[in-house]
Amino acid sequence: MLAILGWSLLKIVVMLGFAVGLSAVLTWMERRQSAMMQDRIGPVRANIGKLRLKGLLHPLADALKLLFKEDFIPPRARKGIFVLAPLLALIPVLLVFAVIPFGPPLCLDAWRTVGPDLAACRPEPLQIAHIDIGLLFIFAVASLGAYGAVLAGWSSFNNFGLLGGLRAAAQMLSYEITMGLAVVGALLVYGTLEPMELVQAQATLWDWGIVRQPLGFVLFLCAAIAETKRAPFDIPEGESEIVGYFVEYSGTRFMMFYLAEFLEIVFVGCLVATIFLGGWQAPGLADDGLRLFGHYLPLSHGVVVLARVLTFFLKVFLLCFLQLAIRWTLPRMRFDQLMRLGWKTLLPASLFNVVVTAGVLLAAQAAR
Amino acid sequence: MTANKPQTAAATTARGTGEVVEFQLDGRTVRALKGQNLVDALLEAGEPISAFCYHPGLSVAAQCRQCLVGIGDGYRLVPACQCTVQHGLSVRSQTDQVRDARRAMLELTLLNHPVDCVICDKAGECALQRHYMDWDARPAAINHEKVHKPKRVDLGPNVVLDAERCILCSRCVRFCTEVAQQQQLTMAQRGDHTVLTTAPGQQLDNPYALNTVDICPVGALTDKDFRFRSRVWELWSTLSVCNGCAAGCATEIHHKGHEIYRLVPPKRWDMNLSWMCDEGRRSYKAVGTERLTEAVVDGHPATPEQGCARAATALALLARRDPTSLAVVLGADATNEDNFMAAQLARHWVGARVFVADRADDGRGDTILRRDDPNPNRAGAQALTADQDATTTSREALLAALGAGAIKGLYVVGNASELAAPIAAALAATEFVLVQATHASALTRAAQVVLPAAAWPEVDGTITNERREVGRLRAAFEPPGQARAHWAWIAEIGAALGQPRQCASAKDVFEQLRDQVPLFRRASWGEERPTVRLRWACRRG
Amino acid sequence: MAKIVTIKRTFWDQLYLPGVVRGLGITLRHFFVNTFGSKEIETLRYGEWDRPDPPPSSDPDAWRGKQKQRLRPERFRGRHRLMKRDDGSVRCTACMMCATICPANCIHIEAGERESPTSRSVEKFPLRFEIDELVCVVCGLCVEACPCDALRMDTQEHLPPVEHRRDAVLDREQLLSRAGVSIARDGGDGEDWRERYDATIGEARQIYRPDKQGHDDATIGYRRKPSS
Repeated sequence: MLAILGWSLLKIVVMLGFAVGLSAVLTWMERRQSAMMQDRIGPVRANIGKLRLKGLLHPLADALKLLFKEDFIPPRARKGIFVLAPLLALIPVLLVFAVIPFGPPLCLDAWRTVGPDLAACRPEPLQIAHIDIGLLFIFAVASLGAYGAVLAGWSSFNNFGLLGGLRAAAQMLSYEITMGLAVVGALLVYGTLEPMELVQAQATLWDWGIVRQPLGFVLFLCAAIAETKRAPFDIPEGESEIVGYFVEYSGTRFMMFYLAEFLEIVFVGCLVATIFLGGWQAPGLADDGLRLFGHYLPLSHGVVVLARVLTFFLKVFLLCFLQLAIRWTLPRMRFDQLMRLGWKTLLPASLFNVVVTAGVLLAAQAAR
Repeated sequence: MTANKPQTAAATTARGTGEVVEFQLDGRTVRALKGQNLVDALLEAGEPISAFCYHPGLSVAAQCRQCLVGIGDGYRLVPACQCTVQHGLSVRSQTDQVRDARRAMLELTLLNHPVDCVICDKAGECALQRHYMDWDARPAAINHEKVHKPKRVDLGPNVVLDAERCILCSRCVRFCTEVAQQQQLTMAQRGDHTVLTTAPGQQLDNPYALNTVDICPVGALTDKDFRFRSRVWELWSTLSVCNGCAAGCATEIHHKGHEIYRLVPPKRWDMNLSWMCDEGRRSYKAVGTERLTEAVVDGHPATPEQGCARAATALALLARRDPTSLAVVLGADATNEDNFMAAQLARHWVGARVFVADRADDGRGDTILRRDDPNPNRAGAQALTADQDATTTSREALLAALGAGAIKGLYVVGNASELAAPIAAALAATEFVLVQATHASALTRAAQVVLPAAAWPEVDGTITNERREVGRLRAAFEPPGQARAHWAWIAEIGAALGQPRQCASAKDVFEQLRDQVPLFRRASWGEERPTVRLRWACRRG
Repeated sequence: MAKIVTIKRTFWDQLYLPGVVRGLGITLRHFFVNTFGSKEIETLRYGEWDRPDPPPSSDPDAWRGKQKQRLRPERFRGRHRLMKRDDGSVRCTACMMCATICPANCIHIEAGERESPTSRSVEKFPLRFEIDELVCVVCGLCVEACPCDALRMDTQEHLPPVEHRRDAVLDREQLLSRAGVSIARDGGDGEDWRERYDATIGEARQIYRPDKQGHDDATIGYRRKPSS
């Protein structure tokens, strides 16, 4: 019992520590990366004495500033819902990390052994919750985030907020369908809804989702970015021009929305890595060591697990980098363009993907 | 041929004999009243003509020459204000000759005018400014230094003169002589040194002196009270009725936010022409200050619901014991709707006796506008108690009944003003006193329940003047705090007494009143006139 | 001549993905060059670095850190200030033009009356003059509306951060704390204004003269026969 609690706590600390830590770094990365892409310098001025760390102290300064800012609630806002909305936006995003596998099953007793018999030592999967319907759980919980946006816009007694909330609702509903259908192809190929099994099925590069499901990958990435409500799909917020659902939020509550947004980036990175990029699998890294181009380097179990965890984190980081790059490269879409893309391009394409995948699988089965 | 504007009430009663005749205006046929002043007829025909010295309520001086027109084939131009409408008259108004002449006269008028519109209180409603902008709008052709005159002359207790701005139209002089019947103003000196001044040993000090400020076509005469307080285009205007006395003069409430800046008379030829007395203009001052804003129950602040519940409980208790020991006092300062609801509560809901609280005549009336009776709505309150002998509802009867200890419960609608102290002194035998008032008085301090009432600029309703004409009050803004109209409080108490609610607005109450009280059968609620911003209604001079 | 250009998009274009990849290529190239390259990024650090005046166009490196002048354009709309007359009194006459035109309604003026106005001043002046800088939308219309050159936004200052909202409401004394004396002459332009007027907008003035039919200016209209 105590061991289960200890393991769970440890995994939660590692996973959420990584997710929240990375999202904090992303707030800095977003600004510095965009600056570099646009030939600017970006924020480098937050400092402790002479220590500047290229602006890495900015997330800290931002958090401090937002925590100490005036907690303003508009006089005619629905107070209860107004307070609840940021939590509704933040908590679902934190929840979905529960089923993301960030490493292979770990057998702590046999960490020195090379290629231990995992079935014998009851390994601990490096995944906070092992749920058979993990992917369904993810989609179910992630879609709750829309309530945060809608209720925030509605409760703040602001026309711009309300309209932003409505845009967020329409957008998230539209793209959730594509997102779900884009994954169906992968599910058909791997035959499981459990993320850990999904990753284990992608043992070699040839088995990765991006190879088996290239169209599914593009569609999913597209829909997932729309779900995070970021450029080129940032119509619900559009902070610079059209004003979004959290206009009336300030201080800590604003920080919650902001944190939720960056956590969503990390979450999308985790999801794409898990489904399409082999999760913690690294090319050539097998359970008992490195096998590359016919060479073999034996590695102990512990090293392999650590390398795989780091592989996963690296993949997520690179995917976050890609999302930020996309956000600073593509201009914002118009709302009608967004809807047309969602319903008339992505949805048919994802249906096509499902049908073709199923057909190919059927044909392969018949051939066998 | 363009269609004529419909005849307005102003035209039918201002001047003229009532016979409609046709005359030619720049080739088109225009209908007007025979004998009507030609300026009024042209204005009604939509002709953009202006006059600085002509005023429909005064004699004709023909000094400004802005209304020059050609008559018939005549070569010489004549001032329209000196002509009356005759059948077959042919008027030239928009020819180059007429326009050039008017323009030359305007240049003369502006010769010594300082054009300090930037600091002039009249700017925005100035006849000269508007006329210049509409017609001329070019710089002066003469490059001499203007004649300087005193910028601030104290003419009397209420009026300040800026002699530089004065264009010597003599409207104010004629007003004092003809309307106020006081020869207090005159013109002195000659040529461009002419100045308006008071007659030797006199001040501009009569009960109607502020009308000179209204009719001044420029900003030469200013009201000491309004001076520099606001630009006119920042104000909003609501048409209502002055509550200063029983004359019931129509008045425009000029207000910004919850503050009244001035009361001015509209042009109403059937009522008070375009005049108002100074005292009436100042009556707004009592409205805004030291208002009651929250309900008080037994000396402690309370919510409106608590106040109504306490009042209903006490009234029901006393009514069950002995209805005749209850007295409801109608206010001569409340609207007909308020008094009607109070009378309904007294007669049908609790069965109480009804009195009317009014102020005694003060003998300040004159033959112009002001009346001896200082109550805005005494006639209305008395009309509601017309089925009783007047002596049984009078203030003497009320004080006598109180003194005799016959009244256990008292319900006063309105401030009761000068009666407040005598009533408060005679409350020894009463057990429960409920007062609805706008301001604190001895009576509110003695009352168990005080409900804050809306004052007259804050309510919709009707009041009846001395001539038994029903005038319409319109709400300029919301009452402060918890204050609400008397009738709304009474309806609330009625609901607490278990009576069905029948009225959602003052108009509903008025319709009940009209249907149930014979004397009001022919009364009218009047048209709805929205509050307008003066920014676009800039012609008052 | 308007020319209608029809853009033909191939399927490849309509896929957008190649375009997205090409765009990503450009931005990422900039990113890697700037991050890992040796060249310093050319940029002006707004509000922190200085420049000489006027900025040289030929040699952009010459001005770096040389002279003390804030990097703000000449017509930068900063904190408001009130101007003074020659005698040190406030120029504003409380005419409310700024308050009237203000689209944000952030200017509140209460007028007072001078006891003894001189020939250089008028009797009306602002007792209270408040601008709520938090409500202000910095459009500058108040400055344009002011007929007296009494209100300006040329301080080149941002409003500093404040502890309370009420601290951002600048009162008359705060607005006067940066006051200068206007170049506009008190008491008007004097005798020669008409010459300057004719030189600038005299053309426009001609339109209004009643000399369309060949009469000179002095001809008074009603001496003429009525035109038929």
